[in-house]
Amino acid sequence: MPQLESLDYADPLDLLRRFIPTPFKALYRIGAVRVTVKTNDITLLPVFPLEVDREVLGERRLEWRLIRDAGSPDLLGPPLLMTSGILTIVTMGPACLIGVDHEQRELLAFIGTAIDARTHQEFLIPLLCQLTNDVFPASASMRFTAHDEASENG
Amino acid sequence: MMLKFNRQTLPFHAEFLIAGARCLIATNSTDVLESTARWRTKTRQPHRAASFEMEVLVDSAMDNTAHSASFFRGHRHLVFAMLPPRSVVTYDLLRRRVHAVLSAAAVRDRSFWNNVLLPITIGVLGTTVGVVPLHSACLDHNGSGVLVAGASGAGKSTLAAALARCGFSFVSDDWTYISKDGSTLVAYGLSAPVKLLPDSVRFFPYLKDIAPRRTLNGELAYEIDPSRATGFSVNYMSYPRRVLFLERTLKPGCDFVPCRSEYVREFFEKSAERLPNELIEAKAFRRGIIQTLSSVPAWILRTGESPQRTAEAIRDFILEARDDATA
Repeated sequence: MPQLESLDYADPLDLLRRFIPTPFKALYRIGAVRVTVKTNDITLLPVFPLEVDREVLGERRLEWRLIRDAGSPDLLGPPLLMTSGILTIVTMGPACLIGVDHEQRELLAFIGTAIDARTHQEFLIPLLCQLTNDVFPASASMRFTAHDEASENG
Repeated sequence: MMLKFNRQTLPFHAEFLIAGARCLIATNSTDVLESTARWRTKTRQPHRAASFEMEVLVDSAMDNTAHSASFFRGHRHLVFAMLPPRSVVTYDLLRRRVHAVLSAAAVRDRSFWNNVLLPITIGVLGTTVGVVPLHSACLDHNGSGVLVAGASGAGKSTLAAALARCGFSFVSDDWTYISKDGSTLVAYGLSAPVKLLPDSVRFFPYLKDIAPRRTLNGELAYEIDPSRATGFSVNYMSYPRRVLFLERTLKPGCDFVPCRSEYVREFFEKSAERLPNELIEAKAFRRGIIQTLSSVPAWILRTGESPQRTAEAIRDFILEARDDATA
């Protein structure tokens, strides 16, 4: 199975790269939140265990969309954090753009090609977990369990 | 440190109109109010405008960050923009809100507001605030608008500059923002600089006195402020009555070939930015505007002439059609 998709993505009518496909999908639990992660680069998936429990009705859910951005070769810049209450935005130069929509229950991140796996797993993923917990302030405790799409489908 | 956009951090407020859309601005800096004053004086509002909110935090710490070129990314209803000098802007298309953290250098730079931030804001929010950005030039001739569309590199800007010296008022050369006043189409320009590619100096010798500059998209171009260009008259808006699709040929002369409404509709629909499903109303609005525009008389203009000769041919064509109509 290829680990990367869409790095050569180019669409003259999609200059913002909104429609980059994110075919890789996995399910995690972060605190009390069930998180679906979709990405175009399998190395961006968190390395903690997959969620194995079945979904409970009314459970807190969030979707992460992690996009490896071939158009951004820069290193991480100094972080800029801003919030309007509904949106939280974190930028670290073009190498890392993160947006969290608290109402829509979505987290989006564009991650540049110069961000290596170690930086991603040890720095960005904890940040994304923190931002996830901020969407649901009561879910303070972190518990990572696992369940992938394949096992979910039997 | 987390920057917060709220009533406490943004005590100054103003309202202005841009391309027919109403912008409610909140900021922590009176410099923002001064830099947007030009837009607040624009009171020509032909219809009840849709509105959006723009929250602007000026943070002098941004002036110490590394310089970066313009950079845009988006997903679903969120769009990120990094704009020189040292400013970060996010667009929430679902809620029609803009959040900007600007450097002190950016906020005092009127050209940043007039030529970068506000045109990009209308370009990004566009259809969600009742304005459809179309890749075309617009000129006004006695209250009637002429849209000049065509493939990139066809010479729209050069022709727009020639038309502006041939009895037409300049509205826009690259992007025109189309809205509706009832059932009537309205075309807006933002008075952004006309961008002429370096080879335009063949047709406009006065460009020799100006140094070409690197534009936001990296192209080298002469930038002319239409409001200061000799012989230009500028209109903020017009009512589109004709559409011309510009095609260059090697054959001398100018041919005006009538084209069907399907051609107009397909041209603009196929060249429109893809929008996500979350913006279904915006998509429908754009489709409606393009449908209305497709009923405007349109021609393919095949020209092998200079921009000046082509501009004269357009002027004569329009005057002739007017004479025929009044005869």
